[in-house]
Amino acid sequence: MERDGHKNKTRSPQLERFLEGWSIFVQNPLGKIGLTLLVCFGLMAACSFIPPLLDPMYDPMTGVDPLITRSVGPSSAHWLGTDFMGRDILSQLLAGARVAFMVGVSAAVMSILLGCAIGMFAGYMGRVVDTLLMRTADMIMVMPTLLVVLILSSLFGQLNIWTIVLIIALFRWPGVSRVIRAQTLSLKQRPFIEAAKVAGASHMRIIFMHIMPNVLPLAFLYMTFRVTSAIIIEAALAFLGFGDPGTVSWGMMLQWVWKTGHMFRAPYWLLPPGLCISLITLSFYMLGRAMDEVLDPRLRKEAEAE
Amino acid sequence: MELRRFIFRRLIQIFVIFFVILTVLFLLFRLAPGDPISRMIDPDMTTEDAERLREQLGLDEPLWVQYVYYVRNFFTGEFGTSFHYGQPVVKIIWDRLPNTVLLFTSSIILSAFVGVFLGKIASWHKGGKIDSVLTIGALVTHTVFLPWLALILIWVFAYKLAWFPITGMVSEEVWLDPEAGIVAKALDVFHHMALPLCTLFLIHFGAYLLIMRSSMLETLKEDYILTARAKGLEERVIRNRHAAPNAALPVVTSIGLSLAFSINGGALTETVFTWPGIGRELVFSVSHNDYPLAQASFLLIAIVVLLSNLVVDVLYAYLDPRIRY
Repeated sequence: MERDGHKNKTRSPQLERFLEGWSIFVQNPLGKIGLTLLVCFGLMAACSFIPPLLDPMYDPMTGVDPLITRSVGPSSAHWLGTDFMGRDILSQLLAGARVAFMVGVSAAVMSILLGCAIGMFAGYMGRVVDTLLMRTADMIMVMPTLLVVLILSSLFGQLNIWTIVLIIALFRWPGVSRVIRAQTLSLKQRPFIEAAKVAGASHMRIIFMHIMPNVLPLAFLYMTFRVTSAIIIEAALAFLGFGDPGTVSWGMMLQWVWKTGHMFRAPYWLLPPGLCISLITLSFYMLGRAMDEVLDPRLRKEAEAE
Repeated sequence: MELRRFIFRRLIQIFVIFFVILTVLFLLFRLAPGDPISRMIDPDMTTEDAERLREQLGLDEPLWVQYVYYVRNFFTGEFGTSFHYGQPVVKIIWDRLPNTVLLFTSSIILSAFVGVFLGKIASWHKGGKIDSVLTIGALVTHTVFLPWLALILIWVFAYKLAWFPITGMVSEEVWLDPEAGIVAKALDVFHHMALPLCTLFLIHFGAYLLIMRSSMLETLKEDYILTARAKGLEERVIRNRHAAPNAALPVVTSIGLSLAFSINGGALTETVFTWPGIGRELVFSVSHNDYPLAQASFLLIAIVVLLSNLVVDVLYAYLDPRIRY
């Protein structure tokens, strides 16, 4: 008995909370479907390295089947067929999964860190800094990000994938920063901040050592939704022909189908990339909603009442 | 009167925000790498015309003088000439604006009404089969990739079944026919609008449905619903007349918040269906390096977004008498 009690104590409260959250999360059908789909996409991304190793003609960007010079349907050599110059669609699709994760996650992390920093500064500093930052946030929030990136790419020429990620992050922070600011405003009144001030901590130290650990988990709740929007914006940009020409993304594949006029002739080429973009956004979206329910007890009660 | 003051204050705010956007755009266009002059002057222009334009834009003056010229030109509606069309940019923009407004507002209104209606139904059958179907349907249509959905709709309904035209907004044989009346012309436009409208509707209604559903469930817990029940009112009356109008308010808010998202979607839809609107013009001008047209389309879209936000705020105050500004 006593030993059992001791064993329970060794589990840290964080782990305890995580396990509790996890069990609620797993019971949620949305969370389950979302996670399963994501694991599938993760596997796709992991497998994307295999085809080019088998044969150089399976390279998603440069590999061309020497026997094929136009788009043909599925065959044993090309399970999903080839595109207009004889490149393998399946290996492009796998490479697209890698790009989608890369774009989505890095843009989301960047925009959340930026939103977090700005939200904390605005909330902690107050007055002029607060007003200026929050009015800027309002302004950026009403701007249609896709069109802004379009204008920028017209001025700066072809953007590479990391520039696109950076721009997406620069335009997607305001939502996060508002929530973090509100959280910071309430944290600021707590005694431990007062204590840190009395102990002589600088503003920077208070913001990054005392406030940040308390708001960061909240910020990452918003991550899944940011991932979704980043993937959609990159895909739309690539679809319109402003993507990074050196990257095979799903949006790029759709642009090739559309621009080469294969959309009525090659369903085996039109359907997979669009389906992948839609499903990956759906799975991140479902994950976000499921996490909302785990972290917002009010919603959970409602579910339990049924 | 309060409302009037609120609108006035918001208009000033909008003006300030717009000025910031105008200035940022000016700086971007002048300071981006490359020759700013070639961005303002059509490479195909004759030397005299180019010289006249240089003077008009003040391109040889220092930057701040150029800025003054730029602002003056904006307020006098002088956006220069489109490189591609060879027409004044203002004329092109005014031609396209009604088309965008038609498609955009009808899609928002349609999806909001259907979303609210279906959200209400979903909340009645909470936990049941109808609820699951509607919720999952809403999630799926809300997250589907818009250009892909548009291509699929074109493929199925315009190409395979040939129910609708593949692209464009009007068919020439109807519009050039002197016999055709206004009704025939309107019907022709609606025939072309069906698929783009359907695309935008499918993308948008899901979000409104989900919001309406959860807001309805929240509202049904309020005290005044309990009062209505205690009065012995019919359940149908309680839901439709007491709960639904209040529950629909968050939908209005979300229309305002998702406006930027809707504008992106509008531009993509217009491009895929070659609907002659502002969004398509922006995409087209950017891919053809038609800088004057790109700049003006972007500014117009910014104005549309800012003003629509104001409209949503005012609508909210009108719908919810508890809100006082």
